[in-house]
Amino acid sequence: MLEYIIRRTFQMTIVFFLFLIFSYLLFNAIPGNAFSSLLLNPNLPPDAYQRVLEIYGLDKPLFERTQMYIVNFFKGDFGYSYKYFPKTPIELIAERLPRTLMLFSIVNIVAFYTGFFIGKVLAWRRGSKAETWITVTSVFSYTVFYPWFALMMLWVFGYKLGWLPIGKFLFPEKWYDAPFDSDVVFTSMIKFTVVVSVIQFIAYLVTRGIESLSLRRNLRFGSLLAIFIGSYFYWNNGEALIQKPYASDIAYHMILPVMVVTVVAFAGTALLTRTTMMEVLKEDYILTARAKGISQKRIRDRHAARTALLPVVTSFIFTIVTIIDGSVLTEQIFSWPGMGQLLLQSVLEEDIPVAMATFSFVGVFALIAHLLADVSYSYLDPRIRIKSQG
Amino acid sequence: MDKNLNQDLQKELRREALKRNWRLFKQSKLGMIGLYIVIFFLFLALLQPFLFITGIWNKGVYDPVVGYDTIKDTLLVVECPKEYPTEKYESYTDCPAKGEVNVKKLYMAPGVEVGDMYETFIQPAPPSRTHLLGTDSLGRDIFSQIMEGSQVAFILGLLSATLGVGISTILGTIAAFFGGRIDAYLMRQSDLILMLPSLPLLFIISAFAELKVWHLAVVLGVIGGLGGSVITIKSQALQVKVKPFVDSARITGGSNMKILFSHVLPNVAPLALLFMVFSVTGAIASESVLSFLGLLNIDMSWGIMIYLSQTDGFIFSGMRYWWLILPAGLAVTFLAGGFYLVGRGLDDVFNPRLRKR
Repeated sequence: MLEYIIRRTFQMTIVFFLFLIFSYLLFNAIPGNAFSSLLLNPNLPPDAYQRVLEIYGLDKPLFERTQMYIVNFFKGDFGYSYKYFPKTPIELIAERLPRTLMLFSIVNIVAFYTGFFIGKVLAWRRGSKAETWITVTSVFSYTVFYPWFALMMLWVFGYKLGWLPIGKFLFPEKWYDAPFDSDVVFTSMIKFTVVVSVIQFIAYLVTRGIESLSLRRNLRFGSLLAIFIGSYFYWNNGEALIQKPYASDIAYHMILPVMVVTVVAFAGTALLTRTTMMEVLKEDYILTARAKGISQKRIRDRHAARTALLPVVTSFIFTIVTIIDGSVLTEQIFSWPGMGQLLLQSVLEEDIPVAMATFSFVGVFALIAHLLADVSYSYLDPRIRIKSQG
Repeated sequence: MDKNLNQDLQKELRREALKRNWRLFKQSKLGMIGLYIVIFFLFLALLQPFLFITGIWNKGVYDPVVGYDTIKDTLLVVECPKEYPTEKYESYTDCPAKGEVNVKKLYMAPGVEVGDMYETFIQPAPPSRTHLLGTDSLGRDIFSQIMEGSQVAFILGLLSATLGVGISTILGTIAAFFGGRIDAYLMRQSDLILMLPSLPLLFIISAFAELKVWHLAVVLGVIGGLGGSVITIKSQALQVKVKPFVDSARITGGSNMKILFSHVLPNVAPLALLFMVFSVTGAIASESVLSFLGLLNIDMSWGIMIYLSQTDGFIFSGMRYWWLILPAGLAVTFLAGGFYLVGRGLDDVFNPRLRKR
């Protein structure tokens, strides 16, 4: 196993190297460059454009630039952004990444739980009328043309009903005399969310082993209540009290994107769970469990759903990997200033250092996830064995 | 003679298998609904050239890109009051009402008085007998555009799915069958493709190459075929490779190529077909997203229809101009959903554990 991982890591390094060269050449193949717009400005002297190119080193031949970029990349120097000059790509990513992760991890967790629950029920109630209708709805939300759907939702909730804001991350008017940066507030929001979800997860793990259904349910409800009371005290004391109105502003802007993406995202999990669960229900041990006289609900939740969880979790891991890739469109529609928008903007404006940094960030993420998925497959499912090569 | 008989028998068996599969497919209700949806859109796609050739539709009026038609309408000229509510109008949104026009809007037309009848051309025109789904803001027939869009969707979806699944089936089977270095190479190659974020990559490609429908189909097919689907097909082929009939074929002296193409590949084919149907859904969605963002060099497609209705500002006008917003979006959704349902029906056929009994 260890030998396999070492070999894979070696191969991955080569792939990453090729990836860097390939994407650098790809960005340079786009006609024009980041400063082409200077040529259109009649107020600038004619040699200004040339001098800007010299400053950024864009006048050098392509081969030399590629070489320099890759050498510097492995030294840990990613250059400076062309558009936001004094900032480095790392600073930009550090600013944007939390926003995307916050939005999409909430979406993914909610979508995973609702999807898994709905899929479980769908497979269990096979052939009933409810199954057909839920399936039709989930197929609709799985295949709906996403930008169109998002715009319609924006129209309904943002414009017609006027309940929720149309796009953006915050109301700028509210933040004129704010004592701190939006990032500070956002960081404390992230900390709060992480702590809450960790507590809830621990409560779930502790209560999982409890046999009696009512006790388990009460304990879980109690932990939820404790979290509510705790968060009430947290947001009404000290530093958090000053941050509260600003944090609630950001949270208010998050409602619509979270809702829309969840509606679109839950269906994939639901349909996958349905398929795997149906396969599991054909297994012999389900028949055995039935013959033993175990209650239907227990068979569904304890025997079938547990086994059906495995492929769903693996696909969920892959969904997490594609968060940044998938966020491009969502963030564009809801004007959410996250990683996806940075990626798209840097590509469209040919801000090569930022685009390369974001591309390689996404790339490393994907590579490691593929390795982890392969290793965890063989770990979780002994039927799949990894041979020494491949 | 003997060989002929054998061939006839094989043909008969194949026909039997096809019949049985069709019977199984018919059992899944949603699969049949999906098939009907796909056939409906195929019918729409084929109907448009037929209407043009037979001359039922005049090309000058109904052409989806350069056609032009208007509907003449006579409006009553009124003057909107300065303060609301009045007897006639509740609020400022009610004036001018249907069939009326505000006199202030007509400052370009001299000599028009309040109370006159004013003749004008409406664009976008609402659905009528001549234009079943109305016209867009340039006077082009929406129904004809929907037909053109379904042609684009079919060409693109089927071409890119066939290409992609063709590539990934062959590569995935080879990777599983030979293993070793070839496998490692192919897997790292698909890693390389998976590492590139798909939408920005398509943006870059559209920046330096003018993408037409065919080009986009090839690009989507190659990216899809070299990327993640190789991994999925490989895992399926690995399960086929260890079946006893492959070993017996080798014992009887079959060459590697023979075993690969006549024993392993046919057994991977059902999954590949399934994969193809599902990837049509993805291809249609990507085309629409790219045209929606205005990055394709295509004259007309569903994505472009939504793009136009958004840039013209109709998407936030609500249901007043529903014929500009709903048909295109629903067409994309329904065709993608139709292919998805067909795929699910096929899944029931090929995967015996999903069947009811």
